[in-house]
Amino acid sequence: MLSTTLHRATRRPRPWPLWCALALLLLLVSGGAQAVPAYARQTGSSCADCHAAAYGGGNGGPMLTPYGLRFKMGGYTDTDGNGTKIPVSMQLTETHSAPAKGDSTTNLSEGDLYLAGRVSDNVGGFVKVEADHTGHDTYNTILRNVDLRFVAKELKVAGKEFLLGVSVNNSPGFDDPLNALSASNTVSPAGVTGTLLNFSASNAPASRVIGATVYALFDNNWYGEVGTYNSMPTSLQDHLGYNVAGDPGKLSDTGYFRFAYMKDMKSQYFSAGLVGLTTKRELPRNGGPKDDITDLGYDVSYQYLGDREHIVQLSYSNILEKRKYGSTFASPSDPTLFSRSRGNVHDQTLTATYVFKQSYGVVVGHLLSTGSPDPVRYTPNGNPDTTANLISVFWVPFGKDDSYITWGNLKLSATWFRFTKFNGATNNIFAAPVGAPMTNPGDFNAFSVAASVAF
Amino acid sequence: MRVTKLILGISAAVLVLGAMLAPPLALAGDASAGADVFKKECSECHTTKEGRNKKGPSLFGIVGRKAASIPDFNYSDALRARTDWVWTADKLHWYLSQPVKQANPGTKMKYDGLDDPKALDDLITYLGTNH
Repeated sequence: MLSTTLHRATRRPRPWPLWCALALLLLLVSGGAQAVPAYARQTGSSCADCHAAAYGGGNGGPMLTPYGLRFKMGGYTDTDGNGTKIPVSMQLTETHSAPAKGDSTTNLSEGDLYLAGRVSDNVGGFVKVEADHTGHDTYNTILRNVDLRFVAKELKVAGKEFLLGVSVNNSPGFDDPLNALSASNTVSPAGVTGTLLNFSASNAPASRVIGATVYALFDNNWYGEVGTYNSMPTSLQDHLGYNVAGDPGKLSDTGYFRFAYMKDMKSQYFSAGLVGLTTKRELPRNGGPKDDITDLGYDVSYQYLGDREHIVQLSYSNILEKRKYGSTFASPSDPTLFSRSRGNVHDQTLTATYVFKQSYGVVVGHLLSTGSPDPVRYTPNGNPDTTANLISVFWVPFGKDDSYITWGNLKLSATWFRFTKFNGATNNIFAAPVGAPMTNPGDFNAFSVAASVAF
Repeated sequence: MRVTKLILGISAAVLVLGAMLAPPLALAGDASAGADVFKKECSECHTTKEGRNKKGPSLFGIVGRKAASIPDFNYSDALRARTDWVWTADKLHWYLSQPVKQANPGTKMKYDGLDDPKALDDLITYLGTNH
């Protein structure tokens, strides 16, 4: 789960203590993985058929191949036709994390249980229950992902292949067929604010809503999807392991759309997509201001697959959020200064991945979170802009057709996450007075080494 | 004279034996290049490992094999009905050079066909080496 932490959309000015940022930064190294050997058992396929790096998840996301994207769109229902397989997998991740400031730690950072597989030719799903290390040998268990699908395949429209599906899921964009939205690829900009579609932004809908979308794929190239979401009651969020402080609020008039063109040329793949999410948000509930929020974005991606010896994946997404706030408020330090009634937030993500022999790889990401200035909402600098980079290298020894072990998989990775701008500043990001200790963006940098096993 | 007849006789015998032992109807493609074609075009749904089925059946020994003949694979009724089909090199060439749903309506296989004759020859030659 990349960039889980440094988002705090400031409805009210909230100073950012360094310890808070550092504690949350530890979560950057958690896997966010979606490697599911149960799917490999179900289909007879290798992990490498669906994932460029033979092991999905972790920093850099699942890295789905076109075949993996089709498996997802097909509702996780493909099979080798050889009996029913148990649709259960597990993953354990041990992580050594070394933040630029603060103590290094080594622990079992995450344990995951997946219920993932097909029920029939038309019904399948993906459910992930995640136990995150929270310190002192304690773990917090949450229901991270739900994506239950019904699909009608082998249909014909105008003589062309046509697929019609329904997804019931708990994160807008998790079911993304292009794997370009942050909820599906787990790569998102970090910062003090973020769009609704940024799965790691604070008070984001991700994992705390339930919704349904209807989607269609025409001629294997043209994709369309519409749907709606509603937030779960705070009591249910609590039962599912979530801190209610991250409640996305009471949502109404929520609409989601996704349109895309994708072209699979076997040795190359290209996609371009449009996405939108709009809602009216009451936060806090029961009398809080009602904000009108609309995300609109586009994304493009390219893959060179060749004969799978060298795989290159490039992806860029650009999402602009328009906010019309339901209230304004005065600055605590200057009662004559009021927050603005409208604002924009802008998330951009550029990632490049290279994988050799589906085993050795490097991921480089450039993550930008920007927004319109607001001296009251974005204290102390009035500017939420954040720039971060991700660099990750990994080795996946198994998961290929000729692998010695076929019942499980292993991934070793080293990741460096660095910040060059935070709170709109490249140094002294909390505007410490002269003589006081300063915090720089680089103080949030973190290096980690992780080992994940899945079976 | 007798030696010449002996040499001719041995040569003929070698040719006949060679023809008998050669992969059935193998084409004159490049097996190494065919292995790359297999990775690009086929490997997501098939392996060439014996007994390892994916979404599609194992292609181990496919050249010369009777259609729909792997016991533990769930073939489509459309392919099971082709009781007279044998996957000779020529048959594979015909089948794979067009959309397979056109070659065999009702099949579960999804493939738009390979329109590069050289690549197809290479592929089938490669498949012929997997025995």
